[in-house]
Amino acid sequence: MNLSELLLQEPDYQRLRGVLAKTQRDLRAALVLLIDRGGHEIASEGKGLGTDHTALAALAAANLAATQELARLVGETEFSIIFHQGRCRSIHVSDVAKRFSLVVVFDDSISLGMVRWKVKRAAASLEEIFRGLLDRPRNATATTAATASPAHFTDAEIEKLMKHFAPKADKEGKV
Amino acid sequence: MTFINYVAHEINCKIVYYGPGLGGKTTNLKYVYGITSPENRGKMISLATETERTLFFDFLPIDLGQIRNYSTRFHLYTVPGQVFYDASRKLILRGVDGVVFVADSQEERLDANLESLSNLEQNLKEHGFDLNTIPYVLQLNKRDLPNIMPVEKLQKLLRVKGEPVFEAVATQGIGVLDTLKAITRQVLVALRKSA
Repeated sequence: MNLSELLLQEPDYQRLRGVLAKTQRDLRAALVLLIDRGGHEIASEGKGLGTDHTALAALAAANLAATQELARLVGETEFSIIFHQGRCRSIHVSDVAKRFSLVVVFDDSISLGMVRWKVKRAAASLEEIFRGLLDRPRNATATTAATASPAHFTDAEIEKLMKHFAPKADKEGKV
Repeated sequence: MTFINYVAHEINCKIVYYGPGLGGKTTNLKYVYGITSPENRGKMISLATETERTLFFDFLPIDLGQIRNYSTRFHLYTVPGQVFYDASRKLILRGVDGVVFVADSQEERLDANLESLSNLEQNLKEHGFDLNTIPYVLQLNKRDLPNIMPVEKLQKLLRVKGEPVFEAVATQGIGVLDTLKAITRQVLVALRKSA
């Protein structure tokens, strides 16, 4: 499944969030985070005790990538789940559709068995949503204002962005 | 791979700083962290050894600002430069949108530069990328040291495809921002082409 072929619209996004919200409620999880394998956050539910989602997504994606390599080294196709158990809080990372990952941060009042069961159900629901997105004809989604690509920017817009980022002068280094 | 979130109005891109060990990749990121205002950057994460050599990667998310009502977020990564960490390097290239090659200008590091460049080409290929087409910038770092090679010679040996080349002294911030702006510009142009 290739994310570049996916066009996530507001109703799809709300469906994804609905699955995450149910999982978060069922597990009383501090955070349920859906990320892509590149480490970008797609959606999340839960307060997460102020967790830095960006950092968590990047580290979870790297962790999963490293774990997959470990699996390959010992002759397995993949280890599809990572579980880190802490004293009060634990993290469960699992594969969704071979392209995304679901990260759940939960406390010691919930058993691992319950987490695995709920995450498995959530993964199945998420996969169904993603499959639906892929099956949808491109021309049925690509032309509305809400989904028109923002990437048709002009050179001037790019230069304006560059000019405003870190305006503190950098000494010239161009060869 | 660039991820455009149409609902949250965000464009997310991944830039990887590649190059030989002790070439200044982490120093580039530390400088960017230092000059970026806190509201435009996230936490910098360094997975390093006890001696501060990069073990897995450094990570710094920055927000360049708004374009067409979309926030442009760039995730900057470094790879571990040491030869024996190749498996880790390969993983970091997953989903990359642009690469900065940080070369060490010192004469005695030429072989390390060439080996790392060849390794980059190979690892990109394994992820289905082509060094000849991916957004790419060459930075010649450590230009303040006494035993450096002339720029022209380094360019001749390390330049792959007419990419922008920047002289840098990352410890002083010289050339760091120019390099970053050049690669982000290329990534945005590539994104426009693919739209």
